[in-house]
Amino acid sequence: MADPYKARAPFAPWDRRTLPGLFDVEESARRVGNFKWAEMKLFEALGGWVATVPELDVKMRLGTHCYKHAWHAELWHKRLPELREMNPDRLTVAANDAMTRFVEAMTEPEAADQTIEKLVGVYRVFIPRFIAAYTYHLNGTSEITDAPTIRTLKLILQDEFEDWRDGEMMIQSLIETPEEVARAAAHQQKLETIMIEAGGLAGPGTLGSQ
Amino acid sequence: MRKFFPVEELARDERFNKITMKDRQNDPRSVFAADGEGDSKRANFRLTPARRDASDGARGLMHGIFVGEIQALEGAGRTCWDFETETEAPFALKLDMARQCWDEARHVEISVKLSDWMGTEIGQYAENTVLFEAACSTDPVMRLAGVNRALEGLAIDVFTTMKEFGDLAGDPYLEFCEDWMLADEVTHVKMGSDWLRKMTEKDPERRNKALEFQSVVDKLFSYGGTRSDSSESPIGLARRFRELAGFTDEEVESIADVSLQALNERKLAVAKMLGAADSLTAAAAGE
Amino acid sequence: MTITVIPETFSYVSFDADLIRRVTGDLATSLGLEGHPITVEVDETTPLARTRIDITDGIKIRADSGAFEDTRKPRQQSETATATSLGRVLLRARDRLSGGFGEAPPDNELSLAQIAAWETYSIGRLERLGIPVNRQRWLYNFRNRHGFTDAGDGAFDQLWRSEGLTWGELCAISAAAAMAVTPT
Repeated sequence: MADPYKARAPFAPWDRRTLPGLFDVEESARRVGNFKWAEMKLFEALGGWVATVPELDVKMRLGTHCYKHAWHAELWHKRLPELREMNPDRLTVAANDAMTRFVEAMTEPEAADQTIEKLVGVYRVFIPRFIAAYTYHLNGTSEITDAPTIRTLKLILQDEFEDWRDGEMMIQSLIETPEEVARAAAHQQKLETIMIEAGGLAGPGTLGSQ
Repeated sequence: MRKFFPVEELARDERFNKITMKDRQNDPRSVFAADGEGDSKRANFRLTPARRDASDGARGLMHGIFVGEIQALEGAGRTCWDFETETEAPFALKLDMARQCWDEARHVEISVKLSDWMGTEIGQYAENTVLFEAACSTDPVMRLAGVNRALEGLAIDVFTTMKEFGDLAGDPYLEFCEDWMLADEVTHVKMGSDWLRKMTEKDPERRNKALEFQSVVDKLFSYGGTRSDSSESPIGLARRFRELAGFTDEEVESIADVSLQALNERKLAVAKMLGAADSLTAAAAGE
Repeated sequence: MTITVIPETFSYVSFDADLIRRVTGDLATSLGLEGHPITVEVDETTPLARTRIDITDGIKIRADSGAFEDTRKPRQQSETATATSLGRVLLRARDRLSGGFGEAPPDNELSLAQIAAWETYSIGRLERLGIPVNRQRWLYNFRNRHGFTDAGDGAFDQLWRSEGLTWGELCAISAAAAMAVTPT
């Protein structure tokens, strides 16, 4: 066995983490507040829609996904005070007005024959934006100073990928005609247009500046 | 999407047929009038394998659980949506309701699998939407009383009856699944009890109103004597699990009284109805 | 063929006496019971689904309204439920009338396992007559009375497939299945 008192490098040769990150504490907290707001809006909408969709398999999936996003909101809620924000509600806001309008437009469909629109809004527009924003944050933040956020992001991203796949498969199984393809595309276009205006989950710069 | 979703619009596929409590109350038939032959089994309707119609009774109850879980899922989901966070309902309460959504969604999945195992098709029985009606209050505290304490409390009673049924029959899946679901329901009732206490801490009037509402819902769920301590009721009152869920002895006694009252009222109504029918028959026969 | 339905008109439920008569007639013809006068009396005051039969003087069937009811639509009649309920009792009547079931006790003295075994034997035959049945429902019923075992499921299959069994043969299959769960 090696001598336990022999000096070793504090970072093992395979540990390539680096100190610099794109976000300071304040910016990280701002983004996390936007994430929490978005996750809250999503879990509330999914919960509300359960009663409005007649398809039993979709009903059950929405109920399951509702909890996952509530849990994400809770994780972000707990992270905020650790980022010097002692009043988490202050930063639990939409990135901007366009983001608020996006959520309003996404949650507009209610009728029982609008399951395609409901799912397209969540799984083809909103959740891909979550995946993008979280991936950018994960790749950009300091691997050492912001490790708790990284851990949370990894846990959440696992859910987001699984839910996105579930949702996309439900959409594919529901769309059967060219008219339904057009409906899905039109709704996606409408929502994407607002999302472009919003600039992403954390506003312009969600994915950095090009 | 609107806030507060009307029970009549609950979305279902073509297999389901929804009925209301009013429809059920309008059905003049009763099991208590069943036997003109002095059948001793008439005095014991508790759902056990010893009952002659045990399998069909269990299948019917299982389908009732299935649609009840769908409505519980919908009710919890609506609480996530209907109330503004913090100004109308605390964030943590909504997180609990979202958790309940996941639990109820799993219960629907379990119920579908169990129904299939028992030879029941989805939608084979009419769906009474009374459970969701209890989830329509515009006050979150009332909703907690109606859904988490009354509805989920009923679920504790039903699951206990079904768990015992599965155990006695030697059904390897029924007992196993009901036990798991029972664990979740005890958690939901406890959640309701805790939130009710917390949210009405400084408002005894609101608390009393909520408890009163719960009592009304409890009686509604005991309609026709479906659930009570009496062996004439198919479903018993699960005192032990209710205790675990945070009901006080006094509360359990109160539910027992209300349930027994519902049973006796139904029996009286049936007796009156049969008396009236007999009089009509005698009059027609010129007696 | 004389078929009497009591009552002719219903007040508690929306049942059709003509439909009951037609279904009874079709079944009686299929089962070779045309020579027997049949009375079907419906107790519409109860939603239970019991059926009882008396063959001492013609065939008299007494059914609770739940036996003919569409469980999806309370108080409405289901032709399939009507055919299944009547078919079960008529097959039992035919078994008793045609010999081989002479030593079978009266219906109210049958054990729960014997009832389940006879039901299985009857429903299997009804399925072959073209009446829609849910096999899993009857398997579950049989399992509740004979245990949830491979031996029990095998006995179920045997009864379901059988024609021309005697009471003794039916009881032997049932007893063998029940033995598989009896602790040793």
